[in-house]
Amino acid sequence: MSASVQTTAPPIAGQRTPRRGASLAGVLAWEATKLRAQARARWVLLLSALAPIVIVAIINGQGRPPKDTLFGRYIHHSGFAVALLMLGFAGQWVLPLLTAIVAGDIFASEDQHGTWKTVLTRSASRGQLFWAKTITAVVFALVVLLILGASTILSSVLIVGHQSLTGLTGQLIPSGTAARLVVASWASAALPMLGFTCLAILLSVRTRNPAFGIAAPVVIGMIMQLFGTLGGVEAIRPWLLTTPFESWHGLLAQHRFTDPLRTGVLVCAVWSAVCLAIAYILLRRRDITEG
Amino acid sequence: MPEVLAVDAVGVTKRYGALTAVNDVSLQVAQGEVYGVLGPNGAGKTTFLRMLFGLIRPDAGTIKLFGQAREEVGTHVLDGVGGFIESPRFYPYLSGRRNLEGLARLDGGATPDRLDEVLAIVDLTDRAGDKVGGYSFGMRQRLGVAASLLRDPLLLVLDEPANGLDPAGIRDMRALIKRLAAGGLTVLLSSHDMGEVEEICDNVTIMRTGSVVYHGGIAELRERAPDQGHRVRTADNARALALAHQHHGGLRIEADADGDLVAYGTQAEVDAYITTVVTDGVALRGLELTEAPLEALFFMLTESAPGGVPHELDHAAAEAAR
Amino acid sequence: MTMTIAVVRRTLPRLAALALATAAVVALTACGASDVTRARLERNLPQTFSNLYVQQARILGHKGITVQSLHAQAQCDKGGPKVADHGPGSDWICLMRWTDPNVPLPDGSGKFELNVHSNDCYTAGGPSKLIGPLTITDTHGNDVDNPVFEFDACFDPNTPNTPTSVTIPAPPTTTAAPPTGGR
Repeated sequence: MSASVQTTAPPIAGQRTPRRGASLAGVLAWEATKLRAQARARWVLLLSALAPIVIVAIINGQGRPPKDTLFGRYIHHSGFAVALLMLGFAGQWVLPLLTAIVAGDIFASEDQHGTWKTVLTRSASRGQLFWAKTITAVVFALVVLLILGASTILSSVLIVGHQSLTGLTGQLIPSGTAARLVVASWASAALPMLGFTCLAILLSVRTRNPAFGIAAPVVIGMIMQLFGTLGGVEAIRPWLLTTPFESWHGLLAQHRFTDPLRTGVLVCAVWSAVCLAIAYILLRRRDITEG
Repeated sequence: MPEVLAVDAVGVTKRYGALTAVNDVSLQVAQGEVYGVLGPNGAGKTTFLRMLFGLIRPDAGTIKLFGQAREEVGTHVLDGVGGFIESPRFYPYLSGRRNLEGLARLDGGATPDRLDEVLAIVDLTDRAGDKVGGYSFGMRQRLGVAASLLRDPLLLVLDEPANGLDPAGIRDMRALIKRLAAGGLTVLLSSHDMGEVEEICDNVTIMRTGSVVYHGGIAELRERAPDQGHRVRTADNARALALAHQHHGGLRIEADADGDLVAYGTQAEVDAYITTVVTDGVALRGLELTEAPLEALFFMLTESAPGGVPHELDHAAAEAAR
Repeated sequence: MTMTIAVVRRTLPRLAALALATAAVVALTACGASDVTRARLERNLPQTFSNLYVQQARILGHKGITVQSLHAQAQCDKGGPKVADHGPGSDWICLMRWTDPNVPLPDGSGKFELNVHSNDCYTAGGPSKLIGPLTITDTHGNDVDNPVFEFDACFDPNTPNTPTSVTIPAPPTTTAAPPTGGR
């Protein structure tokens, strides 16, 4: 090894040790760097941009419209219908999966690599690490939604067209209004996305297993959705995390109703707050006995 | 006014259910010294060091680093402290340099020059650009030391730093630690190898199943160590034994399981005995040292030796009696 | 022996939590009325139908058809007299009447079948004799989709739930024997 050595003069009596400290911005930048270096994040973003183009083209070429999904029967009438059909489909398991790929892994990967003991022996607190990872996961989820939505809407409008859209109470919506409503509908998916991100974070922290953190939110989402279609569960339906994925329906009615959206905001906020609170406490109290 | 202690641990305890991993351990490390925590696997050394770093919360006791406790200053308790627990782990999909850059960010930043400096100290400059996933065990160990030095620590805490290294790596690691200590760094290291601790450390705490069995200097430990054993093989062991009882009554000599004789004493005493044997006409076939005295003492202190812990060294019993 | 006790002590709180959660779910399931009610469907269906019918009139070139001129009204029932009229299901039947000079209603109303989902959306289909087949021919001679043939709609869960008091007499059954000797 090299002969050069770092020399430190022993501190004189009473001298304090050098003060160090990480800023949340610095830790956040580091988490973003790590995420960028991971192939899976890049693949998800790429797929979110390209897959809708392919799917819209396929839908456009289909002879028989998918009448079992809302707006399915209008896919040849208006590109906006295609965009909303895709939104309905995305809310089922695609969006929870896209966010869980990062959020369900961002904590558990530290357990997988054994690096908790590396990062927790620096000057960043557990709280700072928690928030940096959470913010990274949330921003990623919103970016994915933005890319997926923009790609879907643009390819729908360009491939199928921007004809007027038949709304959910039979009314004809002119092109310009339809465009605004479609964008607003896609944007409303950000709320349950946030909820699923926080759920994935909780599962990531609790199970310390990246595979479980990614798969479990998707499975839970599917179960919630199935449960929501049952009759007789009215008291619980509004509290399922999948219900807000359909709150945009009210925007497409002749007399717009926004109550489901307002309820959705509350439900997602509560889910997010509770999941993050539990995850935070679990992380703060954990004894790192292995990596 | 006395200098503030680098490490001041008092009464640290950790229980996992019915098992007590660390039982009322206290130790003090003064600035500038090299301190060893010695014990077999499972003695609780790693658990203790994890508590030092705040990775595990103790059930009882306090740990102060440079006079500060975690309850008072939070993460700042680790200002001036660097090190790693067991084999250091990094992100395998990033290069060594990137890993260090990230860890520097978790410290509040470091200049690129400093990064180059620490990489040079551990001799990883040429491999710094490769992904850590491709590093050998020894390289990861060295990167761990580099990561620790990146914080400009005043106290270096290393958990079994030579563990898993090949003999050349072990030699280099010990040399590095000695150089760093000579430069003024306080070093606290744990080990299960008495020889390593004897070579590098000034003071030592020996642990067994969670409790302390010895505190003190290496020099004192040597004084209390049993005499060096010398294994003697002769052409006629029975005659050699008889000679010992006749002419060297003060010399402790035993026959071991193979029939060889083991003599315990100073070099001069053993020399005299050998001369007697040979002069008597018994041919000497072999003369070698048995285990080092401190090693022997270590095993006595930490394993369930038939004799148990020597009374004068039984720290735990002394504490209990007090 | 102590091992088993330890295991039981660990799992007992978890089992208790699970039992509590299940009980809560079951209890909550019992209360809470469905948003899908007869009154809400009777308010939404005619409105949706009228909007779509107006589109159809424009395609066919029929003049003077507006939502107001149609006066559409509906009376809905779920699954026969014995079934309560609330909750999702594929057995909702709505009798609807409207005024279109071009299309008289021989029975005074048309029978629509609704498949209503728990998310307050439904799919409705009606008699093609009254509302036309799957595709219709527009004024230029092209075959286009008939907007009224089968349609989806969603209603506002906050629509008032007071009864609409719309009564539509059931159409006489077609298999009835012709009256003998005057009635």
